[in-house]
Amino acid sequence: MNLLIRIHDWFSFLGPGVSYGIAYLLETIFILIFVGISFMALIYVFRKYMARIQLRIGPNRVGKYGLLQVVADAFKLIGKESILPANRDDLAYRLAPLIIMMTTMVSFVIIPYGSLAYFGSLTITHSDVTLVLLFGVLSLLPIGEILAGISTKSNYALLGALRGVAKDVSFEVPMLISALAIIMISSRSFITGAQTYNSLSLAGIVENQVIPYGIIDPLGLLIFYISMVARASFTPFDLAESDSELITGYTTEYSGMRFGLFYIGLFGMVYLGSFFVSILYLGAYNGPASSDLGFIYLFIKTIILVLIAFLAWVSLPRIRVDKFVNLGWKYLLPISIINLVYAGLFVLYIR
Amino acid sequence: MSRYTVLNLGPVHPSIHGILRFRVKLNEEIIEDVDITIGFLHRNAEKICELNIYANNIIYFDRMDYLDAMNMELGYVTAVEKLTGIEAPERAQWIRMIMAELNRLAARLVGLGAFGLDMGMLTPFFHCFAEREKIQKIFVEASGGRQEVNYISIGGVYQDFNEKIINDIREFSKNFKKRLEDIYNMFIHSEIFWQRNDGIGILEPDVALDYGVTGPLLRGSGIAYDVRKDAPYLFYDKVNFDVPISHRKDNIGRFVLKIEEMRQSIRIIDQCLDKIPDGPYFNNKAKKSLMLRVKGDGEVFSRVESDNGEFGVYVRGDNTVKPYRVHVRSPAFKNISVVPVMARGLMIADLIVIIGSIDTVIGEIDR
Amino acid sequence: MYNIIADEKDKGGMRVITLDKKDLIEAMTEFKSQGYYLSSITGVDMKDHLEVIYHLHNFDKNEYLGVKVLTYDSKVPSLVGLWKAADWDEREQYDLMGIIFEGHENLRRILLPDEWVGHPLRKDYDLKKVQYVSMDSEGNEHVSFDEREGW
Repeated sequence: MNLLIRIHDWFSFLGPGVSYGIAYLLETIFILIFVGISFMALIYVFRKYMARIQLRIGPNRVGKYGLLQVVADAFKLIGKESILPANRDDLAYRLAPLIIMMTTMVSFVIIPYGSLAYFGSLTITHSDVTLVLLFGVLSLLPIGEILAGISTKSNYALLGALRGVAKDVSFEVPMLISALAIIMISSRSFITGAQTYNSLSLAGIVENQVIPYGIIDPLGLLIFYISMVARASFTPFDLAESDSELITGYTTEYSGMRFGLFYIGLFGMVYLGSFFVSILYLGAYNGPASSDLGFIYLFIKTIILVLIAFLAWVSLPRIRVDKFVNLGWKYLLPISIINLVYAGLFVLYIR
Repeated sequence: MSRYTVLNLGPVHPSIHGILRFRVKLNEEIIEDVDITIGFLHRNAEKICELNIYANNIIYFDRMDYLDAMNMELGYVTAVEKLTGIEAPERAQWIRMIMAELNRLAARLVGLGAFGLDMGMLTPFFHCFAEREKIQKIFVEASGGRQEVNYISIGGVYQDFNEKIINDIREFSKNFKKRLEDIYNMFIHSEIFWQRNDGIGILEPDVALDYGVTGPLLRGSGIAYDVRKDAPYLFYDKVNFDVPISHRKDNIGRFVLKIEEMRQSIRIIDQCLDKIPDGPYFNNKAKKSLMLRVKGDGEVFSRVESDNGEFGVYVRGDNTVKPYRVHVRSPAFKNISVVPVMARGLMIADLIVIIGSIDTVIGEIDR
Repeated sequence: MYNIIADEKDKGGMRVITLDKKDLIEAMTEFKSQGYYLSSITGVDMKDHLEVIYHLHNFDKNEYLGVKVLTYDSKVPSLVGLWKAADWDEREQYDLMGIIFEGHENLRRILLPDEWVGHPLRKDYDLKKVQYVSMDSEGNEHVSFDEREGW
């Protein structure tokens, strides 16, 4: 039974409208708490993993094996004084971290999570156009970056915002085009060849994905993954907040929990992006006994993708901004168009 | 509104190695001009030296290039020894050579780590510092200090090498050869490293000479000038080593050159360990004649090869226990002055990498 | 043709020659054509006069040369036209020793703040007089003798 229905049943004495409202709210909170906890665990794993590569020990003081280090860091960030620069545009300054944070959080609500033994299906958003919705939500990111960049009138922040927007614009296009290829491939069923009508929703794409699309369309997987890591500002592409030249880019003037929100927002992006990639290309929660273990499959695939991004983070230097934009426009865009043609041919003939 | 943005890098900035200020005139992200302001760490060591007796000045030289303290001390001590006529015994000179080379390695390791960090490459930094830590353990064993060692003194060294130190150094040099290759591979096999550095920071040899640049920066432009080879001090003429040069003139050339120089340093250390004789480690005559109260007369300009280049010390005595004038020819001071020439027309990210590749130490620029 | 006032062949391992101030540019031009490069400039305060010592380095012959000039009015012609290295070196000596290099276009203080009073390496510089430095929001440094105005 679906988690949503289950909660709805518990509150059914309040009438259908109210109980559905409460059910949606509670499930959203449940999912976000789960995402938050797994996200904190992920940061802990990341720090241990990074320490291991760098001949260090990593967090080991707070709690057993340093497990509570992330919690301690969160409290430290909350407890810190939030210094407001005098020369700021107040509304934009306060809004920017919230936009970045909310974008990531709302995106997590859109993702279909598959089902888990007792809870049933964990998906919150039941819509035919979740893919479009997710892209729409993600396109809010540059707005937060621009607001952060221009609200403080700092040159570092301004340059960082320019780079951030250049990053988002130049990598959103190849990302969209490779997603389009997936929509095309997904528009016909593998087995019967009949047309399917749910290829614009993430859940529908997973449903049509009898063999992972990553095998059919490896080029698209590569492009999409690179673009996703780039949009999440992970190290080879972290130009917007490149700490060696622009201090921290558009977050330069932020401190305390406001800075923490940026950090969570962008770090969450790579987590979200990995969910996204595993849904589009790796078959997400499909697998044996997927009605019980589906969520576990999705989670494992996601974690593997995140760890690959972490490996790039610790081992690669930062790419220069012109080369970075070139990568988006001169390499990924043409390749993704070729990939689109390939997807069309695949749907017409090869299948 | 003007077409330019003026970006103020520093005085406190994560990747300017210390407190130094660059005012960069930017046209979008292209550098039009760089204006360098130095002096934030200025302590006027030259004046302080005039107020102290000769032996007490050594610690102020430690704090010039604080990463390469042994070579700084060596520069001053050789100048004072020339001035006062005190000679260090043979064993002390071999010990000095080993220590100077070890410290050169330590300084290079910090430079390489920071170079990686400037490119956003976090991992080599820790690997470099792990190796540097081993060198510092040897320093602690010998002198009691990790970084500001105060080890080389007028007429010898502070403490003799015992069996343990020599074994430690042998073991270090054995392991280090392998670790150095690891660190080298971490950089050189990265495609992005090449993209960031290939053809960046070109320094033509005639410009380098004109600006008085020395050290790896000059050798990276293709001029084989190394004080250790061209004006040997200590026993550098009795050991075999090569002076590598690079004709690439860019960051890649300098990087490979520095790695090669580290290999040569290890080679020197190995030879020194084989050749080091027994005997006194301190000039007893100097000790007896109250070394702390030594008098100097005349003027002397002595130079050694430090991590950043030719480190010259001018000492003038007036037959009292204090020097009359001490002047330092600081290699980093000259090397940093050439940054605007190298950075013009490149991007802001390249400026950071160029500063990382020059690898200056602010303590030495400002003195 | 320039006059060599004194010529010491082996002084601390190098040849040191003493020149008259007005011959400096001419002599240095000739040294430059012989392949010498400027390595360092040192000023020494001899109480009644200043000594400026130029260390030149010839990379081909592997030879160091000291050139000494005496000045009684703290003025010496600038060598910026010959070697770029002279730019910062002369600024440093002006800053700390108070030697005025005539012909240097940008003779500002390099290590100390622009408003600093006195030249610290002079023997008559009063070390007991403390100067306090502060910086305004434009990034310009200000110097004051008043303790409350400094950082």
